[in-house]
Amino acid sequence: MENGLIAIAAAIAIGLPALATGLAQSRIGAAGAGTVAEKPELAGIVIILIAIPETMVLLGFVMAYLIISG
Amino acid sequence: MLKVQIIGPKTLLDASIKALHEAAVVHIETLPEDELRKSDFLMKLPIEAEKLKEKEELERAADRLKGLSGLLAPPPSFKPVAVAAEEIPRHMGDLEPIEEMARYLRAGKDALTEEFSVVTRYARLLRGFAPVVTRLGGLKNFEIVGLTLQKTREDIAGLLGAEVSRITGGAYQIHAREIEAETIGVVLAYQKHFAPEVKSLLTGKAITEVRLPDEYEEMPLIEALKLMGKRKAEIPGRIRDIDRELSALSSQWYGIIAGALMAVEDALDEFGALSYAAATRFAYIIEGWVPAENYAGLKIRFSGLFGGRVRIRRLEVGRKDLGSVPVYIKNPSIIRPFEVFLAALSPPRYGSVDPTPYVAFFFPLFFGLIVADMGYGLLILALALYLRRLTSKPGRRILADMAYVIAISSISAILFGFLFGEFFGDLGERLGLLHPVLFNRIEALKTMIYITLGIGVGQVLLGIILSFISRLLRREFSSAGARLSYFVLVTSSLVLLGAIFGYVPREFLYYGGTMMVLSFIIFVVLEGLLAPIEFIESLGHIVSYVRIMAVGTASVVMALVANRMGSMAESLVLGVIVAGLIHSLNLLLSILSPSIQSMRLQYVEFFSKFYEGGGRRYRPFRKR
Repeated sequence: MENGLIAIAAAIAIGLPALATGLAQSRIGAAGAGTVAEKPELAGIVIILIAIPETMVLLGFVMAYLIISG
Repeated sequence: MLKVQIIGPKTLLDASIKALHEAAVVHIETLPEDELRKSDFLMKLPIEAEKLKEKEELERAADRLKGLSGLLAPPPSFKPVAVAAEEIPRHMGDLEPIEEMARYLRAGKDALTEEFSVVTRYARLLRGFAPVVTRLGGLKNFEIVGLTLQKTREDIAGLLGAEVSRITGGAYQIHAREIEAETIGVVLAYQKHFAPEVKSLLTGKAITEVRLPDEYEEMPLIEALKLMGKRKAEIPGRIRDIDRELSALSSQWYGIIAGALMAVEDALDEFGALSYAAATRFAYIIEGWVPAENYAGLKIRFSGLFGGRVRIRRLEVGRKDLGSVPVYIKNPSIIRPFEVFLAALSPPRYGSVDPTPYVAFFFPLFFGLIVADMGYGLLILALALYLRRLTSKPGRRILADMAYVIAISSISAILFGFLFGEFFGDLGERLGLLHPVLFNRIEALKTMIYITLGIGVGQVLLGIILSFISRLLRREFSSAGARLSYFVLVTSSLVLLGAIFGYVPREFLYYGGTMMVLSFIIFVVLEGLLAPIEFIESLGHIVSYVRIMAVGTASVVMALVANRMGSMAESLVLGVIVAGLIHSLNLLLSILSPSIQSMRLQYVEFFSKFYEGGGRRYRPFRKR
């Protein structure tokens, strides 16, 4: 029972930030695609901007790891 | 970078511009407008009518040469011939018949291509009508008409037959066959003297008479179709002949055309440089920037050419000029390709830090730590070397630099792969060829977290130190003090956290806490209310380096899955195919994801600590 709850807690810790990251990246990606269509030279910056929300899922990953490893 | 002023008699202006062009070290600058306004004797250099005429001629020559190089495709390999400015008119004369010939060939090719597309359009009709028209071709005094009908109105063919029979008294032939999915082709032959009545009958909405292209319109249908078939067969050969002639012209003349174009553009640049100059009644003045190491050489060159008649002197650079000093980035050739990372940003401000050497160290380190697989590393290295060979031609420098960066990074991946004992995941270990020298990444996640956090602490603190040093060197003491307190604040907070979690002796709790409070107060006083946000952000940035471990773990797990699924297959061949497919996908991700993540760590976490953009790139006045 306890192990199951730990696993669920870890899944929530990484799952919710992953959804949030996806949501943020979808919006930045759409805006970025528009930007690159008008100014292709900004492609590098757009890729970086898309990668920025990934910090959320990384923090979630660290938390999930801490939950599982106790 | 030194600001220089070049002064000489107006009679030597052209020669001085040419000398500057040859020297290729001066970034020419316009004299400030207010300086010209304030001065009673200094004005913008007026351009004489004769010079303007000369410039217009050069512009026309440039247009002609660009047009000619557009007409002739560049040969696979060519070297622009060196053309001196005096030789431009002669070369332009020599190129006149070539221009005419190229234009004639090009026009011929365009006409043939157009004709080919027309006859191809008619090919379907041709195929549909050919058997019937050939049969009817022998009829004398008969008019042959091609028609198309919509398939949905097929009944019209019968009605048409009945009507034509009525008009001609039965002296006609009609043949219908499907030529397209929705179109029926009809060939109608009747005696010529019934033409007016029959033609007026053929004006129904669903009936379309086959309209021939203009050049075939006067011909009878049968002749036109025959000729179109013949042309369709022979046009591709004619186009190939013209292409051969054009490429022969290109391989003979393209080097001269490219060389002449460069000479013309160089000459135009020299006219452009005149607009930067100012003049008095008898003298001219040109100002610009020269890298300190080239200043002495420039003076020697000018005194050798003009004796003492043209003088070069250094101007004082005030604090207000610092923002306009062009930036000259010079790195050893081994790390120069890493300057490609600056392409996405504005150049660093004069007097700030060039991040290239740091990126050249950290980017391959991060990439290697994430991929850390000898097999993947070797494949990425092979790919990078192939890409480098493809991009060895001039004009593809950015791609060549990227290939170099990937090659260096893949070597780092091979090295870390050896240390972690990875060759296509655990394949090396399964075959007994490789064992982890340091540790197995999958089994030592905690260690990897500590290592990546340690790297994060190191890079973030390095960024703050670099920012402190550059401000100190610019004598911005208040800002430098803020950076120093920021450094102490981040360090002491890390010591405090270490002491709380038992990684650092408990005694440091007191020292860490005290230092943190003191440095925080100083930081807020010097930097303002945004300082606390910057501090929290830097802690977030340190945690962000865990991505090196996270993305690396995802990559190694996928490689393990590939091997496991491969080993579950019933036959060896199937196993190799399954594992190969998953490894290929992982390899693709292993190029893309680690590059983006490593790049992001440089741009967001590292550069944000010290990088000051907004600089102007140093562009010396030099030949193309």
